[in-house]
Amino acid sequence: MWSVEIVEVEVLEKDERNVRLLIRGVDVPFVNALRRTIISEVPCMAIDEVVMIENSSILQDEIIALRLGLIPLKTDLDSYNLPQECPCKSEFGCNLCRVTLTLDVEAKEETRTVYSGELKSENPEIVPVSDKIPIIKLARGQKLRLEAYARLGKGKNHAKWQPVSMCTYKYFPKIEVLSKCDACGKCVEICPRKVLAKTENKIEVRNLMACTLCQDCVEVCPQNPPAIKVEHEEDTFIFSLESTNALPPERILTEAIKILDKQFNEFEEQIKVEKGEES
Amino acid sequence: MKIKTLKKTSNELKIEVEGMGHTLCNLLQKRLLEDENVDLAGYNIPHPLASNSIIYVRTKGNVESKSALLKAVEKTREMNEKFRKEIEKALKKI
Repeated sequence: MWSVEIVEVEVLEKDERNVRLLIRGVDVPFVNALRRTIISEVPCMAIDEVVMIENSSILQDEIIALRLGLIPLKTDLDSYNLPQECPCKSEFGCNLCRVTLTLDVEAKEETRTVYSGELKSENPEIVPVSDKIPIIKLARGQKLRLEAYARLGKGKNHAKWQPVSMCTYKYFPKIEVLSKCDACGKCVEICPRKVLAKTENKIEVRNLMACTLCQDCVEVCPQNPPAIKVEHEEDTFIFSLESTNALPPERILTEAIKILDKQFNEFEEQIKVEKGEES
Repeated sequence: MKIKTLKKTSNELKIEVEGMGHTLCNLLQKRLLEDENVDLAGYNIPHPLASNSIIYVRTKGNVESKSALLKAVEKTREMNEKFRKEIEKALKKI
């Protein structure tokens, strides 16, 4: 069923945040490994530690720290190291594994909302992906001063280090309208994704990609056995990925492959070294 | 990643791997089962919170289970490489 020989990738849609791929010639464990790696292994930046200098707002320090952590930051994977891999070996971090962001705000005249755009970063490359993420609301006279340290991390440790907000795959649908179909049109009506269309006494597949394999059209068909068949291709998948904008989607994909490769290399080395006792 | 051998005979191998979850194990298991020399291959994750897994391979006897495992790893990497090339090609077109 599966062969190494032919793997085909086609980009269905792509912009600066999303990418939708059509992958042919792979199997479920592979796409699933890719998905799981993207979600839990591809590193990105997030605020990890916050030093509160002054907080006279009504929110506790911890809540503010959590909110700061969840702000996605633009990540530069090439110039920063994961803290555990950084040569500095320090718990506090160095310039290669830590970015300092500061926030110094006060509501002078009236109640106001503090937005992520007010965070000042020591590195202009590592900034929140959006300037409009609300952090806290301050009443008149309330002050918030803090220093936050952003570090690289992985999604398996905390969801704030996930570079994607969505990463899924689905089977590629295969719809077949059999010749005994009398074009009653019931399947066209029931389809929630408007996949089918009726033209001149014939049922046609209009938008195959939208099909979710829900089988509603098969169930509604008055003929027995149904005159429509909805199946899926065994080796073709639609893979969609939505980045948080921390990293460009294509970088996330290539990084995931690199990580998978690295893990298998490590595993191979370990097996080769391991002699094992006879038991 | 640390490996501990739990059982080793002429055609069987049972290893405990630290830091290998469903992501890699499931992929590896599939590749092992595609090998016609492999009789049985499976994995078990004893605790859902720890990413320690126990991988078990039994061959039909004509090859060592360790070499079957290495072959499966090789196959996986080959697949990764193919996918990487294809995806770079596909992204360039856009």
